[in-house]
Amino acid sequence: MLNKIEIFNMADAMARHAATRQSAVAQNIANADTPGYKARDVASFSDTYQNQTSDGLRSTRPGHFLPGESAYSVPLQIRQDPGTESPNGNTVSLEQEMLTATDVKRQHDKALTVYSSSLNILRTAIGR
Amino acid sequence: MTDFSDTLALSASGMKAQSTRLRHVSENIANADTPGFHRKTVNFEEVLSQGARTGQVQTGPVQLDRSAPEQIFDPSHPLADESGHYDGSNVDLVVEIADAREAQRSYEANLKMFDQARQMSSSLLQLLRR
Repeated sequence: MLNKIEIFNMADAMARHAATRQSAVAQNIANADTPGYKARDVASFSDTYQNQTSDGLRSTRPGHFLPGESAYSVPLQIRQDPGTESPNGNTVSLEQEMLTATDVKRQHDKALTVYSSSLNILRTAIGR
Repeated sequence: MTDFSDTLALSASGMKAQSTRLRHVSENIANADTPGFHRKTVNFEEVLSQGARTGQVQTGPVQLDRSAPEQIFDPSHPLADESGHYDGSNVDLVVEIADAREAQRSYEANLKMFDQARQMSSSLLQLLRR
């Protein structure tokens, strides 16, 4: 029900994106000393979210069937600008990962704040 | 939520690997003066689950450092040969301390990620409270 309202959909996708990115950062840090490991990351939220919404089929009548709302997901990929590579072929920089982790936390907080305040508006609208 | 449980498992595997490494470092330091001791090292490698990469990390088999042991001159030592030298260990304390520092630093980074994933999932659960 809540997915029909665009802002909930977007906040949901943004929180998912943050969670996936957090997983990428954790994987990089766990492998910070693994020889030959290449740092991973995910594409930015604005790029992937736009793509996912414009790719789907459009309905011109409310009675049309749509392929069920697919949950937003974004794949891990090798980081494009990995910085310097250490002699054992590892491209993880702990400092870079800390920076990304802070970004992720802020993005997740932002998504949850948007979600909960929209929920408040909805509650006010139904008078509770 | 699977992303968060993945994250927690990844960070935990990192912490486990780093503490195994620290354990071997302390073993090396403890045996720095043991005659004939070869320093032990472990490699980090990715965990495979049924052939698929999981992104988790584990320590590989223990390997011995094959470099030549230090020759210590002490004619009165029971192990000394004709020239008065005996084989010490090939542990270099400076290398071990540097290794220990790196292990600690990586451990803390993993711990921070663990804590952050925990905070993020608990703030997600806060949404249900009211």
